[in-house]
Amino acid sequence: MSQSNVANRPSRLSLFWHKWRFHINVLLLLIPLGFMPRYFADQSLFRGDTGLGEREVGEVQVGPWSLRMAEFRDEAPRPAGPAGHMKSFNVALCDACIDQVKATYLRIGKPRSLRAAGVIFFGTPYRMGTQLPIPEKTRTDAELWITMEGWDGSMHQASIPLSQASPATIAWLNKQGAKP
Amino acid sequence: MTLARRFSRLRLSSLMLVLCAGFSASALAHNPMCECKAIDAEQIKCTGGFSDGSGAPGVTLDVIGYDETILVPGKLGAGFLERQGRIGAEFYVLFDAGPGHVVEIDQADIEAP
Repeated sequence: MSQSNVANRPSRLSLFWHKWRFHINVLLLLIPLGFMPRYFADQSLFRGDTGLGEREVGEVQVGPWSLRMAEFRDEAPRPAGPAGHMKSFNVALCDACIDQVKATYLRIGKPRSLRAAGVIFFGTPYRMGTQLPIPEKTRTDAELWITMEGWDGSMHQASIPLSQASPATIAWLNKQGAKP
Repeated sequence: MTLARRFSRLRLSSLMLVLCAGFSASALAHNPMCECKAIDAEQIKCTGGFSDGSGAPGVTLDVIGYDETILVPGKLGAGFLERQGRIGAEFYVLFDAGPGHVVEIDQADIEAP
């Protein structure tokens, strides 16, 4: 064997690549297919085809009005950077109250005033969403307070146990342990 | 253009694409944040802003009594600046960036000096 033939011999990596490159590329095309069911499930959740959220909480009567509530995802609160953990809820206003309700708020614990009524729901009244901050020291017997403000200036409130609204959040709080 | 040059340009373009995708600004939520600390027995210092790092100049930050009377009305200065308020009776601090964009800090949650 001459000196130049040794120098031009392709490396093992090159041989492997040239032998398997088509198979590897086909594999790369197939990998995304494995994520397709999750993708389509998410898309239908975002569109509302599968309901208001992953877990329906039920109908909540708030004074003369009512709303349907759901956990957007049936899971523990998600970390949202320096603001802490957030839990997403969706609501749909009753057909009769859509024209009457100006704003809907959600808060852990009874609000001190309308100014401090908590986070506001945004979006169409048929499907509004919000992200509720869940402090780590939240008690497991805490209550979610819904405040609805009408265009006529009236305000109505109702509460439901957090354990009813989101068992996944209670499980997460129990796992966190009692915080001071 | 030679074939080798074309390949090197293709490699550069691929690298740029990967870098652009990797370092693109992700969508950040901007939840209101507020933190208060007691600096002595009579004064507290509060810092407010949003979780995406932006400040909250001009945002209302009131010290409110449990009977809903505003003890110390105020607004935040430019950026993540603090405001000092005198501690009176039982109170809470309300960072109020608009309806639904509030943070409440009860006096019990304020760190002692």
